[in-house]
Amino acid sequence: MAIDAPARARRRPAGWANALFVLPYLIVFVAMIVVPLAMGMWLSTTKSDLFGVEAQVGFANFTRLARDPIFLETVWNTFYFVLLTVPALTLIGLGLALVLNRPARWASVLRTIFFVSTVLSVTVVTLVWQLVFTPDGGLIAVAAEALGGSPVAFLNDQDLAMPAIAVTTIWWCIGLPMVLFLAALQQVPRDLYEAARLDNASRWKTLTRITLPSIRRTFLLVVIIEIILQFQLFGQPQLMTRGGPNNATRPIVLFIYETGWRQWELGYAAAAAQVLFAMILIAAMAQYFVASRKDDR
Amino acid sequence: MTRPALSGRVAVALVVVGAVLMLVPLLWVLALSLKSNAELMADTHSVFNGRYTLQNYADLVGDGQVFRWIANSLIVSLGMTAGVLILSSLAGYGFARLEFPGRRLLFVIVLFGLAVPEQAVIIARHQLFSWAELHNTHGALILPGLSAPFGVFLMTQYFRAIPKEIDEAALLDNASRFTIFWKLLLPLTIPAQATLGIFTFLSAWNDYWWPLISATNKEMFTLTVGIASTQMNFAQTEGLGFLMAQAVFAGLPILIVYLLFQKYIVQAVAGAAGR
Amino acid sequence: MRHACALRSVDDPLHVNYSDKNTNREDRLATVELTNISKCFGRTAVIDGLSMSLNPNEFMVFLGPSGCGKSTLLRMIAGLETVDSGEIRIGGRRVDHLPPGERGVAMVFQHYALYPHMTIRDNMAFGLRNVGVARDEIAARVAAAARSLEIEHLLERRPGQLSGGQRQRAAIARAIVKQPQVFLFDEPLSNLDASLRVRTRVELAGLHQRLGTTMIFVTHDQVEAMTLADRIVVLNDCRIEQVGTPMDIYLRPATSFVAGFVGSPRINLLPVRIEAAAEGLARATLPDGTLVQTAVPTAALPQGDTTVGLRAEHVRIASEGAAARGTARVVERLGERTLVHVELKGGAMLVAEDAGLSTVRAGDEVGLSIDGARAHLFDAAGRGHHAAG
Repeated sequence: MAIDAPARARRRPAGWANALFVLPYLIVFVAMIVVPLAMGMWLSTTKSDLFGVEAQVGFANFTRLARDPIFLETVWNTFYFVLLTVPALTLIGLGLALVLNRPARWASVLRTIFFVSTVLSVTVVTLVWQLVFTPDGGLIAVAAEALGGSPVAFLNDQDLAMPAIAVTTIWWCIGLPMVLFLAALQQVPRDLYEAARLDNASRWKTLTRITLPSIRRTFLLVVIIEIILQFQLFGQPQLMTRGGPNNATRPIVLFIYETGWRQWELGYAAAAAQVLFAMILIAAMAQYFVASRKDDR
Repeated sequence: MTRPALSGRVAVALVVVGAVLMLVPLLWVLALSLKSNAELMADTHSVFNGRYTLQNYADLVGDGQVFRWIANSLIVSLGMTAGVLILSSLAGYGFARLEFPGRRLLFVIVLFGLAVPEQAVIIARHQLFSWAELHNTHGALILPGLSAPFGVFLMTQYFRAIPKEIDEAALLDNASRFTIFWKLLLPLTIPAQATLGIFTFLSAWNDYWWPLISATNKEMFTLTVGIASTQMNFAQTEGLGFLMAQAVFAGLPILIVYLLFQKYIVQAVAGAAGR
Repeated sequence: MRHACALRSVDDPLHVNYSDKNTNREDRLATVELTNISKCFGRTAVIDGLSMSLNPNEFMVFLGPSGCGKSTLLRMIAGLETVDSGEIRIGGRRVDHLPPGERGVAMVFQHYALYPHMTIRDNMAFGLRNVGVARDEIAARVAAAARSLEIEHLLERRPGQLSGGQRQRAAIARAIVKQPQVFLFDEPLSNLDASLRVRTRVELAGLHQRLGTTMIFVTHDQVEAMTLADRIVVLNDCRIEQVGTPMDIYLRPATSFVAGFVGSPRINLLPVRIEAAAEGLARATLPDGTLVQTAVPTAALPQGDTTVGLRAEHVRIASEGAAARGTARVVERLGERTLVHVELKGGAMLVAEDAGLSTVRAGDEVGLSIDGARAHLFDAAGRGHHAAG
């Protein structure tokens, strides 16, 4: 009888058994994230290749990075790419959301169109855009010729290659900022707009005094999220330009990939990865702080 | 109601132009994929006139390789989706509803995992899989994806949002802990399961870097990596139309999935980013 | 069949053997006894050494403001909160160590807690299935409960398709099918709109008469408490202020808190000076100097600050023989009577009652006649002192 088991309901000791629910995930988490993270940090202080660790080198990899002109160029390239894409993605995304935040059928169709590219894989996206950019019968070349111009080899031009990749990326990624802004716009309380109408606010006033201030936090979040995402640029240059011409489109992640899996300098690649991690972590912390300050509007 | 202002109509017009620009590259690729290679070599202008053919698609199907890749992608994506749903549901319920030592700390640590980018772990992960001789297996392609903390985070939030009264009513109804989890709470999380499942499937299907370095054997390529392998020699290729057919072939299924589950996909992507 | 001890099969002799040998579950009239119950959250005591007992068949209401511990107390009886020390017995059987499902109680939650993805029928059957009640018995009990709450036509719907009132009935029906020894209600009416609340209140009273089961009902609404209860437990700040019948509580409030919490409009509480008068009864002087001759014996009244409690119905607007005068500030017309908020000389406010067709208007000078024999006095500790008898 249950009566004989008085310990059950009263003050049951915090159950270790309950931890069984989270255990399976925690095992994977430790094996796939915690251990590799720690090991990556350790690797970054070694000289390692495919066959194992050759030597402990302390911070030598990092000092070498600081003096490696190619790495520094990739850092610059990454920042340049972020600068090209993030403001454009944010502002276009906001514009689209403002125009398409209405229940009409056509608005919903347009929203679908602007989000559709987001679900494609990087390989399909780059394939599509190489066919747009190629001077040899590409969409732009054909259009230019029809208008009397001459074809331009975008991806082979040191100055145009990165902007071309940026355009590809904006086309690929515009869906996310748009839906984030749309979600935020739908959170703005209806009665604010009703109050503004009673106050005779013009459309412009309503936009600048009510709508935009209400989604300030989302704006900041979108910027940070996009910085984090675009910092990790990899597939587009790897597939479209292979980092060229003349390293003009080589970002940090591609540097890590090639150092690690083309030259098999794992320690050096790990060090570069730590540098990237630190940069992303700063942005992620900023995101956390913005996201957790919910009440502050 | 007032007539829309001029500025409003200009904005709508701009957005429509933008939508056209979004679609043109896709239509271009579709059109090219329907032209024979010989014709394209001669003159790309023939896109607008001349004959269309399904020859490229026939070649693709005849090749057979693509089906192997699609099968790999399906195995990996479905496996990862099932794994993530199971692990995240269990962990989410544990974190949201159960008491055990260190629960808060563990949850915070898992949340920190959200900030760890793939690049920071991928080298060591690759080494670990090498040592364990797991590369070029489906398991190796699935396993890293199971560790994504987003699912745990999402499910924990979702379980927390279910009123505790439900559990209490069930306790008074003589339901066991497992019954409460399995028969009451889990069915209530189906919307979250759908969101998480579709998001995981999509991420797995589109994943590029890890399969690129883990699956080096052509037989083990996923579709994404397979497509990449054929476009490496893009500039020199003589089979433009074939390449385009591949792009369409790879993109179309996921576009159809998107159109079917649009609501969930948009929710999932926005949720994952805004976490 | 340990679980089955939570259930009783009164009508069906076949099911008698499900019942627990240690206790006599055939006894439909269960008492509930709480002895020296204590409960802490962290370091704060929520309930401290509380004892009370409910008679079989009693409708007991726990009344108090939010945060007074009334819900915690109910949840301790249900087994949803642990008890730090003390004993809980239901029908003589000690239950404080039993899991909720085995205590023989059923609960109706504030937000109903219907399982959203199950039909109403499945909601009602869930608890019975969990303890292995036979199919046809489940069907019969569900049908009977649905009939008595007039929700038969809703059985195949889900909670999301029901209105608030229908959900409420479904939640009550779910409690009834379990045939518990004690029903627990946790503010079940607070989510209903006003007219539905009144109707449901009446139905609950009817239900109690029909079932004759012990019921405990938690509310912060004194009208619900007054209308439903056989006895009321007034709680404040984790302590029992008073236990008594509704009229007991109303006529002889044990503390100034009880006096202030029960009764509408709120009782007038004014600081007074006390002096002994004829026959040992206290005479009180209001802040404006008005004398009120009470029926409270001075003997029991301690020295120190004293407060008089005057209900509005004992302070009437009077044109002649007025004991006090003041200015009407606000006039509230309730139809059958009129409440006049009167400012006395010196600024003290007093709510007085007048006839429904009162001619008083805000700003008028009015006279007040005070029925001093019905006045209550509260000493410095807040304890109430009333007319003898």
